[in-house]
Amino acid sequence: MRLLNLLAACASLLSVTAAQKNANKYQTFADLAASSKGSKGSIILNDQLFAEVTVPPRNYTTVVLFTALDQRFGCVLCREFQPEFDLLASSWHQDHPKSDGLLIGVLDFTVGKATFQRLGMSTAPILMLFPPTTTGSASEQMPLKYDFNPNDPQPADALARWISQNSKHAVAIHRPFNYVKLFSFVAGIIGVATLSRLAYPYLAPALYSRNLWAALSLVAVLLFTSGHMFNHIRKVPYVVQGRNGGVSYIAGGFSNQFGLETQIVAVVYAVLAFSSIALCLKMPRIENSGKQKIAVMAWNLVLLVLFSFLMSIFKMKNGSYPFFLPPLIA
Amino acid sequence: MASSIKATLFKDPASTESTRNILKVVILLVIAAVSVASRLFSVIRFESIIHEFDPWFNFRASKYLVKNGFFDFWNWFDDRTWYPLGRVTGGTLYPGLMVTSGAIWHFLRMISLPVDIRNICVLLAPGFSGLTAFATYLFTAEMKDSSAGLLAAAFMGIAPGYISRSVAGSYDNEAIAIFLLMFTFYLWIKAAKLGSAMWGGLCALFYFYMVSAWGGYVFITNLIPLHVFVLILMGRYSGRIYVAYSSWYALGTLASMQIPFVGFLPIRTSEHMAALGIFGLIQLVAFVDYLRGQVPSKHFNTLLRAIVVLIAVVSFVGLVTLTVTGVIAPWSGRFYSLWDTGYAKIHIPIIASVSEHQPTAWPSFFFDLNFLIWLFPAGVYLCFRQLRDEHVFIIVYAVMSSYFAGVMVRLMLTLTPVVCVAAAMAVSSILDTYLEIESPEEAAEESDSKKSKKTKEAAASGSNTGGFLSSKAPFIGIYSFTSKAAVVASFSVYLVMFVLHCTWVTSNAYSSPSVVLASRMPDGSQHIIDDFREAYYWLRKNTPYDAKIASWWDYGYQIGGMADRTTLVDNNTWNNTHIATVGKAMASSEEVSYEILRKHEVDYVLVIFGGLLGYSGDDINKFLWMVRIAEGVWPSEVQERKFFTSRGEYKIDHDATDTMKNSLMYKMSYYKYASMFPPGQATDRVRGAKLPQEGPQIHTIEEAFTTENWIVRIYKVKDLDQFGRDHFAAMAFESGKKRAGKKAGMAGRAGGKKGRRLVRA
Repeated sequence: MRLLNLLAACASLLSVTAAQKNANKYQTFADLAASSKGSKGSIILNDQLFAEVTVPPRNYTTVVLFTALDQRFGCVLCREFQPEFDLLASSWHQDHPKSDGLLIGVLDFTVGKATFQRLGMSTAPILMLFPPTTTGSASEQMPLKYDFNPNDPQPADALARWISQNSKHAVAIHRPFNYVKLFSFVAGIIGVATLSRLAYPYLAPALYSRNLWAALSLVAVLLFTSGHMFNHIRKVPYVVQGRNGGVSYIAGGFSNQFGLETQIVAVVYAVLAFSSIALCLKMPRIENSGKQKIAVMAWNLVLLVLFSFLMSIFKMKNGSYPFFLPPLIA
Repeated sequence: MASSIKATLFKDPASTESTRNILKVVILLVIAAVSVASRLFSVIRFESIIHEFDPWFNFRASKYLVKNGFFDFWNWFDDRTWYPLGRVTGGTLYPGLMVTSGAIWHFLRMISLPVDIRNICVLLAPGFSGLTAFATYLFTAEMKDSSAGLLAAAFMGIAPGYISRSVAGSYDNEAIAIFLLMFTFYLWIKAAKLGSAMWGGLCALFYFYMVSAWGGYVFITNLIPLHVFVLILMGRYSGRIYVAYSSWYALGTLASMQIPFVGFLPIRTSEHMAALGIFGLIQLVAFVDYLRGQVPSKHFNTLLRAIVVLIAVVSFVGLVTLTVTGVIAPWSGRFYSLWDTGYAKIHIPIIASVSEHQPTAWPSFFFDLNFLIWLFPAGVYLCFRQLRDEHVFIIVYAVMSSYFAGVMVRLMLTLTPVVCVAAAMAVSSILDTYLEIESPEEAAEESDSKKSKKTKEAAASGSNTGGFLSSKAPFIGIYSFTSKAAVVASFSVYLVMFVLHCTWVTSNAYSSPSVVLASRMPDGSQHIIDDFREAYYWLRKNTPYDAKIASWWDYGYQIGGMADRTTLVDNNTWNNTHIATVGKAMASSEEVSYEILRKHEVDYVLVIFGGLLGYSGDDINKFLWMVRIAEGVWPSEVQERKFFTSRGEYKIDHDATDTMKNSLMYKMSYYKYASMFPPGQATDRVRGAKLPQEGPQIHTIEEAFTTENWIVRIYKVKDLDQFGRDHFAAMAFESGKKRAGKKAGMAGRAGGKKGRRLVRA
């Protein structure tokens, strides 16, 4: 409804003289920014408003985000960027309630198809900065295009820097303090404290169980020494489709690995470690001599075969490695 | 191993005491000799030379120390690095290494053995590795017994994980730091066991030595408090721990603050707060413990507990407030990136760019530790079995260091000692069981006296372990000789293989000085590639003493050490902006670079180029890091994206982007490179790419020197043009004149214009 009113206002403005028109046009949009029903300070544009705001002559700078927020378009980056853009707009509005020569607007594809077509844009989001016109020469009217960096941890700050560099307006970002996060953190701590107080009688035996801590420590040690942190940091694939249709479990190359590969190695380490523990702790406690002999031989064999297997995988990774153990020779 | 055989051969331990002691000393000496000998591959193959990068600075500083004395060294302001800023070297280094080799140098002179400081520096690391083996022996002997200690010493002596940082010539802080680490830990265990302030004080003394030697001292600063904290949580607080920790912390912290580089960090940064917090906690616990003994009232205890909790909460909140308000510095980036593993890549590219800060893939663990890596969990498990206070230390150490080693390749170094200790405990337990010559007799219904005695003993030890898994049943022993022989034989094979593996790894992977490269000729003979020294000596002999050399920071220490010329940036990466400046100069076009180079009064620019030889560690491969670091400071002027083709590839051939082709680094690397090959055949052997026939043109610099294999290329930055033209105009004029060679002089100008067009085209 408000939009219609504004359209009417815009239309009525056309009758005013050019200079006045320029000033009034700016004032209208500044008011629009102040009263925006979207995020504070950001003007929700459509085809007509866009044409209006960008038509020369301009004595103000305009930053327009061309986006496609609708689920249908599946634009992840658009949706990720929108809160940051709103933050930029509201920060500017907070510092400059009268817009002070910088207008910030959003044009969504659903209401701005014609503009997208006219400007030949096939991707979103696109961000453009329309500098003020002073002479009206064609080159001056060329908008500047912003390059999105998907890896930027704080896109609003990067954009603010870019605007500050490309216009006379210094934009500062005011990130609102995240009270929700703080409260949920405090509540979480209190909750955990209460829960542990209540559950203490039941948890205490487990907490002081030596076996539990031994298991946890060993799992941690095995995970870390089998290269789990590498998987976590480098985000390696679990397995990779091989060339002739098969699946390759082992990555080629010495400083490379797959997820499954590290799990195999961790299991091999675990079994090897367990066999040595069995040999030194369990075996001498078997009372029957015949049983003991068989068990010792069995564990010894497990040790040999798995170590040999480990050596053969390692040789696969490092072709020039000269050593191997008998049963499995890679 | 040998001593345990002995121990079983001689029945009465008392009568063989002296024999066994002699044997232990002999074995330890042999281990020390072996650990020194296995680190000498590089000296024998190449020569007595300092390796890699950082050692060159340490070597230079040591030379300065023995030349100018200790106090000058302490106040050393180095104006020949980080030009024009300079570096307060005396206050920004860990002096322990240099002071150690300086002391050895003075001692040898005193006994009339004037040894060159270079040889002391080269051989310091192998020498200290012998001491590390000894410290590991002492440490492990505290954990189990001396036979496990000897095994651990032998493992430590030859484990590649430690050799990688301590071969002859690798004159780096780690060379002495691992010895100090193990010895400090030994003293700490001793102090905690005996509750003695003397051992605590000694521990603090060696902690001080460690702080003076290596930034990795923070590992000790956090591990000992963690050990104490875990013990308190386990309800094992005792007066012994109180005395040991308090004396260590108070003395050690005060001592560590005497190192200028450390200064007030122990009370101002988050890395050290754990130690301080535990110091406070242990005082509280001691106070409560004391009062509990005095006042047995139950209500009073409840009140007391409330007070303790309150104080703990208040001090924690206080700590957080101080951190938030900035009185206590938050975790520094290098340490923070250990926890938040994605942090460095986004925020501090200079840390992420270093190859030894990359995460560790599993083959590296196996490569550096071989079969120790799977004995390691077994050893940790054995620690859980007895779980004395010192075993808790091993467990804490094992978990923490295996995490750190997984996150950063470099920290494999701190993992190696605990792996050796734990694995030695496991192997030694197995050998103890299977090398027992006497076999138990088969259990009959009515057991003979000996067996019942054994059973009783075992039952007693079983109750000690609190019914721990796999140790509930009484210990009997191994019946059959065959099973003993089989297990001992297979473990002997593994041990022999470990020795072979270590020797092979040391010889093949860790003994290259990286200053001198070796390759094999087709006939199998060794060919030495000595381009680095060729270039550095060229600089030393052919440039004025005050010439300034710009290069990427990797080569700063080497230029300072070998060429003795002033550098802009070096491996002490204290000023990110200055490094980014050099990065920008390398990544920008000549016009921009020339401005930067002139402003920094640079005379020569040095680049490493491996394209001809296939040397992959060259500057083009490092180039993206230069771009990234420069982009971090000048995001609008240098952009990483512009170095990638539209398909997102990093190319140096025809498809290379214009920004890439115009960058100073590209031009310096490929200038005249195509002329080495027949037309159309120019290839870069590192990146396997065909190069354009028309190589890059340079205007503001000129080639000064290129080494035999093109690895190092040195360019001279041109002085301002004599006629006040810019260098592009001057070059155009020159080439134009050549073009218009036979024409009269007045045609020169027109020719110049023509030439300019040609150049720019």
